[in-house]
Amino acid sequence: MKKSIYYIISSLAIILIISSCDHKTDIYDGPNLIDRFGEFIVIDSLSQSRTTVDFSTGEDVVFTAKFNKNIDWIIEITGTESGAKKIIEGFNKDIDASNAKWTGGTTELPFFKNEICSVRLTVPEEPDFVDSAFVEITGTKIYEGTLFTDFEAEPGQNIDLGNFEFELTPNSGRKMDGLAAQGETYYLLEGTDNVVSNFFVGLININSTIAGSTYAPLPTYVPEDLFFNCFIYSDGGPHGIAVIQFVFDTNDNGQFDDGVDQTFQIEGDFPLNWVGWRHIKHSMADVNISQAQLEKLVSIRVLLISDKNAKPTPPLQVDFGIDYMIFTQGAPLEL
Amino acid sequence: MMKNTLHKILAIVCLTGFQFGSLLAQDGSALPTEKEKDEKRIRFNGLGRSILSQNTVTGDVLESDTNTLRQITDGEFLLDLAINATPNKKTEVQSILRLRNEFGGFYGAGVTVEVRELWARGIIADRFRYRVGDMDVAMTPYTFFNPNEEGTVNEAAAFIPFKDVINYEQFYSPNNTRRVQGAQMDFGLNFSKILDELEFKSFIARVRGTDFFTVPTRFTSGGQLNFSTDKLSDSLGTMGKFGINLAHTFDDLQSGNATSGIRNTVFSFNFDVTIFNKKNTSLNLIGETGQSNLTSRRDSLTLSEEDDTFLDIGLKLNLKPQKLSIIASFIDVGPDFFSMGAQSKRVDFNANKTYLNRIGVDDVLRTPSIFDLSRDRALYTFRLSDQLMAYDPRFSNTMPYGTATPNRRGINTTINYGNADDFIEAELKAAFLNEIRGQGTFELKSFTLLRASANFNFHKLINWENKLRLTLGYQYEQTNRGGIDVEVIDLNSNLIEAGLEVELFTDFELLFGTKMLTAKGNEYIPLYADFNNIQDFPSQYVVDDTESLIAAGLRYNFKKGIYLTVQYQSFTSQRGQNNPNNYGFNQFFAIYNMNF
Repeated sequence: MKKSIYYIISSLAIILIISSCDHKTDIYDGPNLIDRFGEFIVIDSLSQSRTTVDFSTGEDVVFTAKFNKNIDWIIEITGTESGAKKIIEGFNKDIDASNAKWTGGTTELPFFKNEICSVRLTVPEEPDFVDSAFVEITGTKIYEGTLFTDFEAEPGQNIDLGNFEFELTPNSGRKMDGLAAQGETYYLLEGTDNVVSNFFVGLININSTIAGSTYAPLPTYVPEDLFFNCFIYSDGGPHGIAVIQFVFDTNDNGQFDDGVDQTFQIEGDFPLNWVGWRHIKHSMADVNISQAQLEKLVSIRVLLISDKNAKPTPPLQVDFGIDYMIFTQGAPLEL
Repeated sequence: MMKNTLHKILAIVCLTGFQFGSLLAQDGSALPTEKEKDEKRIRFNGLGRSILSQNTVTGDVLESDTNTLRQITDGEFLLDLAINATPNKKTEVQSILRLRNEFGGFYGAGVTVEVRELWARGIIADRFRYRVGDMDVAMTPYTFFNPNEEGTVNEAAAFIPFKDVINYEQFYSPNNTRRVQGAQMDFGLNFSKILDELEFKSFIARVRGTDFFTVPTRFTSGGQLNFSTDKLSDSLGTMGKFGINLAHTFDDLQSGNATSGIRNTVFSFNFDVTIFNKKNTSLNLIGETGQSNLTSRRDSLTLSEEDDTFLDIGLKLNLKPQKLSIIASFIDVGPDFFSMGAQSKRVDFNANKTYLNRIGVDDVLRTPSIFDLSRDRALYTFRLSDQLMAYDPRFSNTMPYGTATPNRRGINTTINYGNADDFIEAELKAAFLNEIRGQGTFELKSFTLLRASANFNFHKLINWENKLRLTLGYQYEQTNRGGIDVEVIDLNSNLIEAGLEVELFTDFELLFGTKMLTAKGNEYIPLYADFNNIQDFPSQYVVDDTESLIAAGLRYNFKKGIYLTVQYQSFTSQRGQNNPNNYGFNQFFAIYNMNF
């Protein structure tokens, strides 16, 4: 009996001992020391797969370079005419199609135009290193989605300018001053809340007819799956607020009746506290509109508000520009 | 909450009667203090301590730095009053009240009163021992253990008074216990056949409270089942002692609004099999093997999980007439082995030092030195850390987290000679280890560690009735790694200790002590982010340091546990060549310590 106990315990011990020396050793812990402390050497300098590219036909540009170690790198592509910027970043020793393919998108608005772009490859840890190249765009990228309006065409009766308090400046309207985020034209609302002291400065009603039908054609009518996108320009001046309202044709008459038709908007709206263009995006579920109401989206109203609670006396001028209003399905517009 | 309840119980118990007796304060065990016949007693004991010290800064740092304080005088007066009550023969409660006054505190300013310890213990149904409140717990070196601190091999007697203060303040014990607060339950059984004894121990303790937001309450618990067998062979004395151990640290996700937490489980099996035990020689197979599991959870979702194993197996040869014992073990501790209860260090190298935390022109953070390790209690902790703590490779690079240091494989040996009553008592430890998994590279580090200590009791040799004792300690450590330039590591360090105790007259001793540390070479010290995951190697660690500490003084022992020592210590630190921040300390201090 005693021996049996010993045999059982010994067997158990042997099994435990044999199983105790198996460890994961095909990896190492922490960052690679060569990457972290090794000397930086460029093995292959920057090059690109093509010098002219037509993104509208699905072409892309692949940048390649090779270093001796994994390191943080940045490729910055700048449109020489538009000022648009595309930034591609990574931590690799090989820059190739897997991490440096450009399909025409932008990181910082505006969109690229048909123009020559300068390309700079830099490594933050090596401030003395810079490599450069050029790419010419012959066709810009076509974005997926259902365009509501990009203000490129003369709107005619499709846009009603509401300057009820005579606070908008004559400068308000379609602008073609080279600042557009997409194409050549955007819409500017500019004014001062100095006639009737309230929040309101001015507005535009953009009827869905601008997109070719009474009710806005949308890629889906499921609010959770439908995303509204637009670009808003702000000069960073204080007190301005942009409001975007989606109008449901409550009385089914096929046109916007103010005070009758129900409107939906993002809570808090868009305080204009940034400088330059910004991509505004949200799902339509965020404005609490239903699928049935989306099917009768008769208009989008865009308002310029001056923050009454904060503005000084006399009030300061407020303004913003809006461009490229587009609906996408499944996700916001991928720039 | 529990502490408040215990307060009330203690207050009631204290009012029931008074009797004076003698007990050791800070008793962390679950064993009864007095025999059961001693009923209904209240005893007072405790510790009184006074420290007065004057420190002067010296060295190159003073030439360029006009901000650093040149001289600091500080100290404390402290009384720990232990009130121990035995309301009946099966119950015992104790509280230690602390009264402390900073040196220079007047009329209540700088005075603190706090409860240092509170516990109750007893026996249920003459079978089960229990304890609630503060307690000291140790299991095995891989499950729940408080590994020894670095920076010392064989501490000279001159440095012991300050080390005693650290040990007392942090509840350190020779058994490597860790102070926790919770509940403990033990019981044992005796058998007449096959098995000899069986003992079961368990505990659960709260090691961290919730902040009611994101930090959940953390508990640690453990259980041990130890049993020994009858002799298999009477002629050889063959028998075995075995243990099954489980340590489990976990976050209570029902506490506060916390949704994420961890679970760390370590299971092990330890054994000590006597192969033979003869009159002159005995041979044992000893060791422990097991596995750790670490799970990170959010609600009921497992975010990450890793486990790894360890093995520690060896032979222990005891040559009794020669008073020589040799242990040779093979250890293999996996890179992902994580045991919060065993790998939490005593020294917190990131803690703020009490004395001149920053120094020099640029107000640089002063690296903890042998001076700080020998005296500064603020650097020490007994708490559990949920990630591998920072370490200083100058003091320990081979096993900075004790025996349970992860990612080590190799041979570990210990040779002991003599005992405290002999002329020579010596110990030699040697470890030859390698990494199992590389850090930042597939190249592996190799470690060599030698630790030797010897006590020469010359009074035994010359039959002098007073003590004349020389103590020596030496640690050599070498770390190497091959590969290309940035991967190469070559670091060596030497720590030398010497001490002399001369008892000039009965109980009146002259003390000398010295320590010297040299370290030279390069290393990469990992920065841990979560648990044992290396986030980065912030910079290459290059060192060419020399530190020395010399002490001389007197000590008078009024009786055991009551002494007064007056000493002068001089410390210098040289970090690299021509470093304008090289500095030194001259310290004069007096410590009066009284256990009563």
